Amino acid sequence: MAKYQVTKTLDVRGEVCPVPDVETSRALKSMKSGEILEVWIDYPMSKERIPETVKKLGHELLEIEEIGPSEWKLYIKVK
Amino acid sequence: MVWTGLVIGIIFGVVLQRGRICFNSAFRDVLIFKDNYLMRLAALTLGLQSITFLIFAQAGLIKLAPMPLNWIANIVGGYIFGVGMVLGGGCASGVTYRIGEGMTTAWLAALAFGLTARATEAGLFSKWISWLRSYNVTVQNTTALYAPKTGPSVATILGISPWIVSVIFALLMLWYAFGVKNKSQRPSRLNWIAASVLIAILAPIAWWASAKAGRNYGLGITGGWTNIISVYTGNVKLSWIGAEVLGIIIGSAISAIIGKEFKLRMPKDPKTYVQVLAGGFLMGFGAATAGGCNIGHFLTGVPLLAISSIVASVFFILGNWTMAWFLYGRQK
Repeated sequence: MAKYQVTKTLDVRGEVCPVPDVETSRALKSMKSGEILEVWIDYPMSKERIPETVKKLGHELLEIEEIGPSEWKLYIKVK
Repeated sequence: MVWTGLVIGIIFGVVLQRGRICFNSAFRDVLIFKDNYLMRLAALTLGLQSITFLIFAQAGLIKLAPMPLNWIANIVGGYIFGVGMVLGGGCASGVTYRIGEGMTTAWLAALAFGLTARATEAGLFSKWISWLRSYNVTVQNTTALYAPKTGPSVATILGISPWIVSVIFALLMLWYAFGVKNKSQRPSRLNWIAASVLIAILAPIAWWASAKAGRNYGLGITGGWTNIISVYTGNVKLSWIGAEVLGIIIGSAISAIIGKEFKLRMPKDPKTYVQVLAGGFLMGFGAATAGGCNIGHFLTGVPLLAISSIVASVFFILGNWTMAWFLYGRQK
């Protein structure tokens, strides 16, 4: 199943707005260049907002994988 | 005519859910994520509405009614509401539409919000409100565009036509929405321009329908929740605005289910429930004190250029920024 060599996984399902976004930014800050962060999310607004934040921070969004009803996994490569 | 509230609420709920329209996010994203997507949506909506309300008033369909100005209430209530929405995980309309998406934290926040707003209007904290109301500032209007007795607006203070004020305001908002540098994009289900146009058309129709039902004001949330609480606990009839809030929940639920976005969402740390309860409490007390929430004051009152709504909205944003910085902005 492992699509990517994930360094760290963040499960922020069920969290209130904007905890998924904030936790993602904080995790990315603590990671090294080239590492991949996997974010497990079920909040539609953050799924649409995180890619923009990631772009702004200079990281690369590899994929948004739909894994169930209103559940997604975001794969982000640290710059 | 209460049923028109339900219909308008359902449409509003679909637009809120598809457009991801949350003013808590709009205010906060600018500060925390340097993301202006929802703020530009808000600006465009306010600008368009300032024109569409006037068109309806000019046609004699509605009488504009800026809310009474009350410096203490608008400032203190506005700030408390702003702090509360960050803890509650959404503004008044944000938590209401997320109920329909199955967000359990929003259920609790909305319940605490409605209960406390009701307690502030007519229960335990009602002495506070009746004391505050003695400081309300109103004006007598002479033009047919306005209801006879309302709060002051920029136009009534300057003694000029509201058209002049609204056109200048709309141009400023359009300039921010389309002219600002570094525009944030987002692949929302409903494009931000489409969402703004829909609300700007829906809002004056909502006002007209609400006035027909005996309530001369546009879209709102707080009054709807206090009505729903009263219907549930006392022998009170469902009002237009109560039906509108029920409609938002129904519309958002339909939209979420069709869009495959309905899910019972629960946070892993139960402490989050305590946080949203506290947030809902502050939102209810703040909104009832200020005389309205982000829909009554920000979305509906600011396009009227009501001084009360402008003051309240400035303090919604300041309260939002204070708490957002404490919770999410530090140690970034």
